[in-house]
Amino acid sequence: MLARPLGWLGRLSRLVAEHAGEMGLLVGRSARALATFQVAPRALIQQIYVMGVQSVPIVVVAAILSGIVTSQQGGYQFQGSIPLYILGSVVTASVVLELGPVLTAIVLVGRVGARITAELGTMKVSEQIDAYHALGRDPVAILAAPRILAGIIVLPLLVAIANVIGVLAGMVAARLTVGLGFESFLYGARLFWHNWDLFYSLTKAVTFGFAIPVIAVHMGFRTQGGAAGVGSTTTAAVVFMLLTVLVLDALFPPLLLQ
Amino acid sequence: MIAYRAVFKAFDDQPVLAGVDLRVDEGEMFGVFGPSGTGKSVLLKTTIGLIEPDRGEVEVEGEAVRPGDRRNLARIRHKVGYVFQNAALFDSLNVWENVEMGIPEEELRGLSRLERTRRIWRSLELVNLDPALVVTKLPAELSGGMRKRVGIARAIVGRPRILLWDEPTTGLDPVNTAAVERLIEQLSEELNVTSVIVTHDIEGGLLMCDRVAMLQGGRLRFCGTPAEFRASDDPFVRAFADRSAAQAALDHLEIV
Repeated sequence: MLARPLGWLGRLSRLVAEHAGEMGLLVGRSARALATFQVAPRALIQQIYVMGVQSVPIVVVAAILSGIVTSQQGGYQFQGSIPLYILGSVVTASVVLELGPVLTAIVLVGRVGARITAELGTMKVSEQIDAYHALGRDPVAILAAPRILAGIIVLPLLVAIANVIGVLAGMVAARLTVGLGFESFLYGARLFWHNWDLFYSLTKAVTFGFAIPVIAVHMGFRTQGGAAGVGSTTTAAVVFMLLTVLVLDALFPPLLLQ
Repeated sequence: MIAYRAVFKAFDDQPVLAGVDLRVDEGEMFGVFGPSGTGKSVLLKTTIGLIEPDRGEVEVEGEAVRPGDRRNLARIRHKVGYVFQNAALFDSLNVWENVEMGIPEEELRGLSRLERTRRIWRSLELVNLDPALVVTKLPAELSGGMRKRVGIARAIVGRPRILLWDEPTTGLDPVNTAAVERLIEQLSEELNVTSVIVTHDIEGGLLMCDRVAMLQGGRLRFCGTPAEFRASDDPFVRAFADRSAAQAALDHLEIV
């Protein structure tokens, strides 16, 4: 009776260990490629552009909407019970500590992570990765390292933009919906502000910016089985990245907010 | 010289190569035939360590291929040009950049811009492409035949001593197939290289190669000269030889 669940658990453990081992190797080899200057600056700049600059519009839209929603819901709950200037603190804390980094990471999973897995997966099934090996080139230095480094650079910048835009959007929404003035909103925001919150937010961003491309590249390199394989691997990668972002997000408060 | 000694490889417990022993001599043009899924491409990939055999050994010019040893692989891959089945050109790079990738990195650093241009130009001319017309094009802008030629140019630009051809004529029409086969012969002579050609085009392979081998179920079924292949009384070999002769006649009609 226990044989089946135990067998399933065994297979799952093996799969987790396999993924963890392969990702560890990928990170080690990427770090070595970066340390030995094997990564072309042009490739890095290109990835920063694709992952960062091209993501700005969608990140801004997500930040505006999250700021507006937080502000409206807070305003609705606080009216008549708590001083409304507290809304400034609630919106700022929500955006900076949670919504800015997590929503930006989720946007990046969909826009960048899926793209990386599909791109590298297609290269894998069309033997382009093998071609790099055959030509004596290291696909980790050419394809993986620039993407991982670009993720680490780009995500904190995007989160910083999302934080500022989200708070501003929340401030405007508070004025328009519950009539809270900008000065009162900022007073509330400053009242419970800790500089640590910004560090916390950006640390989350760096962590997500590292995890998303590592998983995306790893899954891309594992792709097998033609176009169908690229599709199923990309779907699996998106689920893997989203779960990782959410699990890491859940680990942050006990580690850094005590 | 390339030697495969008792090479065994299985995927998901299914043996694809079940102990293949083969030897390709220097300067030889060697064909490998066999039904689909019989391990021909896998055998070719073990030559440069793209696939590691579970058992057995592969030796290239006296040096054993050790897939875990980066320096060993770099040395071996330096000597070998690999032409992939579907060219495997890098989608995001233009023809110039694709071919340039074929020049080993350490050699590339020592070449002036003019020398690089000469090497790339010459390689494209050798595969009968007009460099001025194609160098700025992306792989997506090329026809199937042109992509194959660029793939060949990339494989020869590094001046290899051995050329491995994985299904070089697959997906090409009879005219382009004949053209690529002429090209393989011409290049092997001009560059004086050892060639191993994995192909389904048995008639073309028999015309080009000095010796041929046939794999079946991951094992070596036949190895000998084209004349011995044609004269073989092994029913499996005969079935292939007869069908290829019929196909060649059809292709000839199509070309006419």
